[in-house]
Amino acid sequence: METHTQFPQDSDERGGDAREPVPVDHGCVQLLDPDGVRQEDALYDLFVADLGHAELLALYEDMVVTRRIDTEATALQRQGEIGLWPPSLGQEAAQVGSARVLRRGDFVFTSYREQAVAYCRGVELDQLMAMWRGTALSGWDPFAVGMATPAVIIGAQTLHATGYAMGCQRDGSDAVAVAYFGDGATSQGDVNEALVLAASFQAPVVFFCQNNQYAISEPVGLQAQRPIADRAPGFGVPSMRVDGNDVLAVTAAMRIAVDRARSGGGPTFIEAVTYRMGPHTTSDDPTRYRDESEVVSWRAKDPIARLERLLESEGALDETARAHVASVADAAAARVRAGCLALPAPDPLSLFDEVYATAHPGLERQREEYRSYLAMFDGGAR
Amino acid sequence: MKRFSLPDLGEGLTESELVSWRVAVGDHVELNQVIAEVETAKALVELPAPTAGVVTRLHVEPGTTVLVGEALVDFAPDGETAPSPSVPEADRAEVDRPSGAADREPVLVGYGPRTASGERPRRRARSGDDDTPAPAHTVPAHTAPVPERSRPRATPPVRRLARDLGVDLGTLVGTGVGGRIAREEVERAATGPSGQLPERARGAGAAPAGTPATPATAATAADGSVRRPITGVRRRTAEAMVSSAFTAPHVTEFLTVDVTPTMSLLDALARSPRTGDHRVNILTVLAKAVCIAVRRTPAVNASWDEAAGEIVEYGHVGLGIAAATPRGLLVPNIARAEELSLFELADAVADLVRTAREGRTAPAELRGGTITISNVGVFGVDAGTPILNPGEAAIIALGAVRRRPWEFEGQVALRHVVTLSLSFDHRLIDGEQGSRFLVDLGTMLSDPAMVLTMV
Amino acid sequence: MTTLTLSKAINAGLHHALADDDRVLLLGEDIGRLGGVFRVTDGLQAEFGADRVVDMPLAESAIIGAAIGLAFRGFRPVCEIQFDGFIYPGFDQIVAQLAKLHYRTKGAVRMPVTIRVPYGGGIGAVEHHSESPEAYFAHTAGLRVVTCSDPQDAHTMIRQAIACDDPVLFFEPKRRYWTKGEVLDDLPADPLAFTRARTVRAGTDATLVAYGPLVQTALEAAEAAADEGVDLEVIDLRSLAPLDVDAIAASVEKTGRLVITHEAQRSGGIGAELAASITERCFDLLEEAPVRVTGFDTPYPASALEDHFLPDLDRILDGVDRALGRRSSASAAGRAEARPVTGGEGRR
Repeated sequence: METHTQFPQDSDERGGDAREPVPVDHGCVQLLDPDGVRQEDALYDLFVADLGHAELLALYEDMVVTRRIDTEATALQRQGEIGLWPPSLGQEAAQVGSARVLRRGDFVFTSYREQAVAYCRGVELDQLMAMWRGTALSGWDPFAVGMATPAVIIGAQTLHATGYAMGCQRDGSDAVAVAYFGDGATSQGDVNEALVLAASFQAPVVFFCQNNQYAISEPVGLQAQRPIADRAPGFGVPSMRVDGNDVLAVTAAMRIAVDRARSGGGPTFIEAVTYRMGPHTTSDDPTRYRDESEVVSWRAKDPIARLERLLESEGALDETARAHVASVADAAAARVRAGCLALPAPDPLSLFDEVYATAHPGLERQREEYRSYLAMFDGGAR
Repeated sequence: MKRFSLPDLGEGLTESELVSWRVAVGDHVELNQVIAEVETAKALVELPAPTAGVVTRLHVEPGTTVLVGEALVDFAPDGETAPSPSVPEADRAEVDRPSGAADREPVLVGYGPRTASGERPRRRARSGDDDTPAPAHTVPAHTAPVPERSRPRATPPVRRLARDLGVDLGTLVGTGVGGRIAREEVERAATGPSGQLPERARGAGAAPAGTPATPATAATAADGSVRRPITGVRRRTAEAMVSSAFTAPHVTEFLTVDVTPTMSLLDALARSPRTGDHRVNILTVLAKAVCIAVRRTPAVNASWDEAAGEIVEYGHVGLGIAAATPRGLLVPNIARAEELSLFELADAVADLVRTAREGRTAPAELRGGTITISNVGVFGVDAGTPILNPGEAAIIALGAVRRRPWEFEGQVALRHVVTLSLSFDHRLIDGEQGSRFLVDLGTMLSDPAMVLTMV
Repeated sequence: MTTLTLSKAINAGLHHALADDDRVLLLGEDIGRLGGVFRVTDGLQAEFGADRVVDMPLAESAIIGAAIGLAFRGFRPVCEIQFDGFIYPGFDQIVAQLAKLHYRTKGAVRMPVTIRVPYGGGIGAVEHHSESPEAYFAHTAGLRVVTCSDPQDAHTMIRQAIACDDPVLFFEPKRRYWTKGEVLDDLPADPLAFTRARTVRAGTDATLVAYGPLVQTALEAAEAAADEGVDLEVIDLRSLAPLDVDAIAASVEKTGRLVITHEAQRSGGIGAELAASITERCFDLLEEAPVRVTGFDTPYPASALEDHFLPDLDRILDGVDRALGRRSSASAAGRAEARPVTGGEGRR
């Protein structure tokens, strides 16, 4: 028997270059191609058959608006008004398409890049900015919008979503929990444990993985040696792989998954193949690890452009419609800016607020001591 | 006017190079319109305008390196009246920013650490102390029952001192914060010799670190012998004695003089209305004589400072009077005794002795002595070989005044006679000096009128 | 009033919690069918069903993470970590999520999660089954950490911990699981009573503070000390975060001497925090420096050596000797180490 004493040094020996993103057409459901032409799929078509022009225009508007919010936030960072922004540019279809399938009573657990999901759930735009401006650790009341605060620890939220879903089961509710996470997160233990848990209890949870090809600088080929969607069945969780820039395919897949969960069919894993058009965050320089040519090739697959072409070809995007969408986007951008700039600086002593739900004398003492300390200085607090 | 300064761009830089302007002075720009390109680590970053308005000033030439926080461009925002370019008003963008983001080194996940300002570190100015008392001990809802008699409060070093000096903290009042007993109170209560050491004489008398306190109770053995633990007071006295005796080479000289005229003088003073309540005795006279004699022989009012390699001649007289107290031997001193009149000196000596006997000598009185008198005459002895108070150069023992047959005007007569014993530190006082000093004392005591020749 | 072992007392407490509030769930490995490796959850699944007493996959992070999700949904989960040494895979979910969610959401989201952890040594076990990790969690803002020492406390404290809206780490002294004691069913009126220390033996000469498995040892040491004429006040700390400094300070005001004992390693342990706090509060009432009698700064050793690692009656009394200024191992070890050397200057 041959024994290998040398491990392959070169990615070529493994067959396939780890720097290349997994090609979109590797078993990926697509209902709308980059040129805006409808593609047929017997199964998935059923789940978007009811989407007429009004519905498509609404999706189009959501994507344009969320992209505009993203652009405005990036500008705010460049203007020094927020410290950091992780752009969702290019991922609008994946986020809007999936989020718009959900009901009010469903609950969403996301990473830190799901601002389009937040918009769809009803998070106010100033609330969206608070954690990036640093005036608060998070911006909104999760129970008001059915969305947990963004998870900065990679993958932790998948367990929370699964636990929530287990709670829905016990309540006899048909509410569904959704976990949003990226390709890199699938390497974390928590994500894999969540799949085990979800399968064991057939929990009504949807695992929505946006494979945007990069985890900061690390290409997905470093984290996955097979399409990510192939993992879930190994845990006993059915999965789908869709073109994440195709809002119709995303919608269809999400509807399938949510229906399954609501009817007691258990969890589903969706891999939405998309591309992070921008940097990891505004502090990142992607030119250090990827070619402009790659970005250009993905620009040709833009999610908004293809829907625009479809709508134009069907005569549904006239000047009135365009103007309306533009004004909604402008208004949103203005609200983001004004809301962000108006966020109040927190009172120094609020540092001590809400650590515990119950009385904590030791912490109260610390607060008092600090209050006395601050009172020593001219002008009080810094 | 709105000024836009270079923000941190999240590229981990404190500066970037302005590559090109996309606008010129006088151009009207829209919000977020790209106004410049800056280069950061081989990536070109476009800067969007923070406001809609007219460009009024470009601060930087293309090709210049700009620091984060430096001004880039001024605008007259739409809606404002005429721009006032000469007025450098506060940067509104800076004010809006929650925490002065411009001075921070950007990192991957946020604003970044603040970069050093280059200024000297300085404390923030404080106004008066907050009048609200800090809640040192907030009373909890329920605690263990308050003990009826609270234990005395004293910091560990003070407790240790009390143990060593044999002072029961429970007998003290404690006037510090929260009833805390201070070191001085313990020393006062002890009137122990630990404070007796002049500040110069360090190292002498230190107890070895870590000695556990032992209770001062005597134990009678089966054979009738009694064992008494060596406690702080006696231990300290012993240490001082040993230190002095085996550091300074002691020489003792004796002089016996006929002090009958002095005794007559004392009688006269006692009857004189001028004397009032002052009680002048032979010790007082000797004290005065010492103050006068040291001027003629300054060497005796000095100290050998081994550590500094110097002999210190004092400019004043801290006249120590050895005193027996309930706790043992003490040597409180009269500061600046040379400035006191005879009557003042009498009062000072009387006070000193009485205070010592009552055990109320203050620690300050035990420090700063320069020369000592030991009145062994009260015990009924004539002379001795006194041991120097550590750090001093001379000590005089005053014997009992006796009626003795003495030579007087060529005949033998009963006269008042007293012996003075002078021990001195032979390192800094030689025989001639010591003798001269002693003879001066004897002269003044045997014939007070001779003082006129010495002052 | 009944006589129960400590583990049965907890079982009874869990039973009450499950019966009184149908939002209470138990999650853990082997807690359902088996009733727990220490039988603490015996009979509960049979009575309350597999939906409420849930056998979880072998995944500590999942147990805690699922509990967090269930808490979001309004449930009151009680997790069991099978052994102290297995808590670490769940550490991130505990300190980065559970501890912070209330603060992160400014109180909008409550995490009324209780995590039960059998802990401590003295059971002759293999590695990782005798740990005392309480300090990691006491150091984490946002968590409450408590531990019981006898059956009565085990019963009332677990019920109060579950009812508390904050996340609570509930450490159970596994070597005391079989200790028996009287247990009353009633709860203290104050729901936060479980966060306070308790004087278990009044005394005057020194304050001996212990928690969890060593409370019993401390009481035994106090009995032996009485034979020598030393009257010890023994306090069961019960709450490690927050520490009931007020109660300890009140005792030290009386005695002037403090001895703290725990199984956990010395450096950075609960004893260090308590010693510092009491030194700050009672500086001018202390006759001697606080003394800590603890495990050594080594990993927990092989069982053949554990009796040397764990503080026992003699080591505790040696610590008490030191606190009384008497001859002790410290004097033998050399006072040069115990007290700072002041050099040639001598003491003023």
